[in-house]
Amino acid sequence: MSSDAHAATSRVADVPLSPHFGWAWWLAILASGGLVALLGYTLLSVTIVGVGVWGVNIPYVWGFDLINYAWWIGIANGASLFAATLVLRRHDLRTAVNRFAEGVALFAVICAGIFPIIHLGRPWLFYWTFPYPATFQVWPQFRSTLTWDFWAISTHVIVTSLLWYVGLIPDLATLRDRAKRPMVQRIYGVFALGWRGSVRHWAYHQRAYRLVAILVLPLILIMQSTVAFEFAVTLVPDWHETRQPLHFVATGLAQGLSIVLLVAVLLRWGLRLGRYIDEGDIDLLGKLVLASALVSGYLYIDEIAAALLSGGLTQEATFTRMTGDYAGLYWTAIVYSVLIPQLFWFRSARLSTVGGVFVGVSIGVGIWFDRFSIIVGGLQTDYLPSIGRSYSPTLSETGLFLGTVGLFTALLLLFVRFLPVISMFETRHDEHEEKSS
Amino acid sequence: MAQLFTPAATTLFRAAIVLTGLGIVGAGATAYLWARADSTWNVGKPAPQPVPFRHDLHTGQLNIDCRYCHSTVERAADAGMPSAQTCMSCHSQVWVGASVLEPVRSSFALGQPIQWTSVHRLPDYAYFHHAAHVTKGVACETCHGRVDQMPKTVKAQTLSMGWCLDCHRDPAPNLRPREAVFAMGYEPHGDELPEDIRAFYREASRRLTSCNTCHR
Repeated sequence: MSSDAHAATSRVADVPLSPHFGWAWWLAILASGGLVALLGYTLLSVTIVGVGVWGVNIPYVWGFDLINYAWWIGIANGASLFAATLVLRRHDLRTAVNRFAEGVALFAVICAGIFPIIHLGRPWLFYWTFPYPATFQVWPQFRSTLTWDFWAISTHVIVTSLLWYVGLIPDLATLRDRAKRPMVQRIYGVFALGWRGSVRHWAYHQRAYRLVAILVLPLILIMQSTVAFEFAVTLVPDWHETRQPLHFVATGLAQGLSIVLLVAVLLRWGLRLGRYIDEGDIDLLGKLVLASALVSGYLYIDEIAAALLSGGLTQEATFTRMTGDYAGLYWTAIVYSVLIPQLFWFRSARLSTVGGVFVGVSIGVGIWFDRFSIIVGGLQTDYLPSIGRSYSPTLSETGLFLGTVGLFTALLLLFVRFLPVISMFETRHDEHEEKSS
Repeated sequence: MAQLFTPAATTLFRAAIVLTGLGIVGAGATAYLWARADSTWNVGKPAPQPVPFRHDLHTGQLNIDCRYCHSTVERAADAGMPSAQTCMSCHSQVWVGASVLEPVRSSFALGQPIQWTSVHRLPDYAYFHHAAHVTKGVACETCHGRVDQMPKTVKAQTLSMGWCLDCHRDPAPNLRPREAVFAMGYEPHGDELPEDIRAFYREASRRLTSCNTCHR
């Protein structure tokens, strides 16, 4: 390794190897640890007492559980799709954002996976959705959305973690070589799987990395469509729509990009990584976020157009969602996920840390309201007057949601503490190419 | 820099990967076999009973009909357990002073049922109707085995859902003519079941395997 290359990425490698990390990190991990404890408490209470502690009831059988599932999986899909595309296109932006975009995807899918399991009512029997040779000799119902969830989430976890880990291997080897303490060397060494950086290793690695990235592309489309089909296969008028998969895929991408932007801005500011995530990267990310927000805007217009073109119950249900009791959710979604991101037409807003955080959070919030609006608003009108109740989450559901936010943050913080947040080998590769050209 | 890991450590790591894989497969295979083992389902395991009742003596040697004691088996979901009166109809004459029959006599005197331990307990979400089976030609022996040879009453079959479904999917081979339902050691003689009955059950297996046939 030349001293040049060493210098190029030493700042990135120094972060996980530094013995101290400052009080801010400890404070953050304590706060998210508290939320993880809350998650544990709410999960335990649902498991012991049952789903009665939630605000769901006929006709609102899906409440926060599905809202947050759809929301987290959207983040995971958006971030994965973005990262995989960058790897396949060998785009310059990948050096800056790929590592944590993959991380964001993985942590989000872990959070998402909690909800379908816990909402089963008997979560300890979740493995019944897997077709194993059971003594009761009955296969799972393959037409059931629960079975789809099982395949979708498990595949997602496997592919996303593969993409993340395969990308990490050469960097883990770098950390192994840089580490001072033998114990740390050994830990990174085991996870580096004996990486020696030979030409053969690199050739295999490139092939494996791109292969996994290619796997991600169809996976994401199928995955998001699966989530959408879970709604579309029901008979609820507003859900039973062919445009749903498109809506979920596109708004999911906006959401994934916005969270990647949020994390990028925070890392850049918090770890002073301006050299690796430079202005050009942030600017480009901002433009992508803006473009995806415009696509979301187009989809909202499409929703109205589709409703106007349909008629009957579908039309009525869609317009009820926009004007009825839950209209607030719908319009909040549009304001946060489409209108606020328009700030990014200004270069200064794209480049400012505050602007990045503001828009990143805003799209996340907006899409969350969108999922809330779809799931609850779609069920608003029923035929029986006796079920004219409304849905609002109980404290237990809110706790569950906050708990997954805490889990996500905690995983992200641990990742930042112990692993290189920037792909060092890609950075070295790019800088080397720039010099030789 | 010195080598971090010795060549032996690398071999160990590779072996660990292979062993983990084998371990997962092995755990799966063990779980598969365990879930199907008779011991898991308490097959052949007698339960402690208040009175050492012997089916082999009463049914096998004395030839008492099943329905003498399990009197509702042809009419109700529950086969019925004999009251102390039923026992005492003989035991007021035979084995009058036997100490093992003390619970029967006190039950008779006090009007309290004998607390038998159930050997064939189905979970409460499974709805089973004895009469529905017995009157359609499912013999006692098919599920309860050679009760006439049991000194202590034990389960002869797992009673797992898969075992139920084995028959519900294709009942015809397990059906007997009416006169053979309460027989023990019955040997079917060729294809006795008329074709129309077999055709009926080929149709019916769809209904018999629907969830709410047993889970109501």
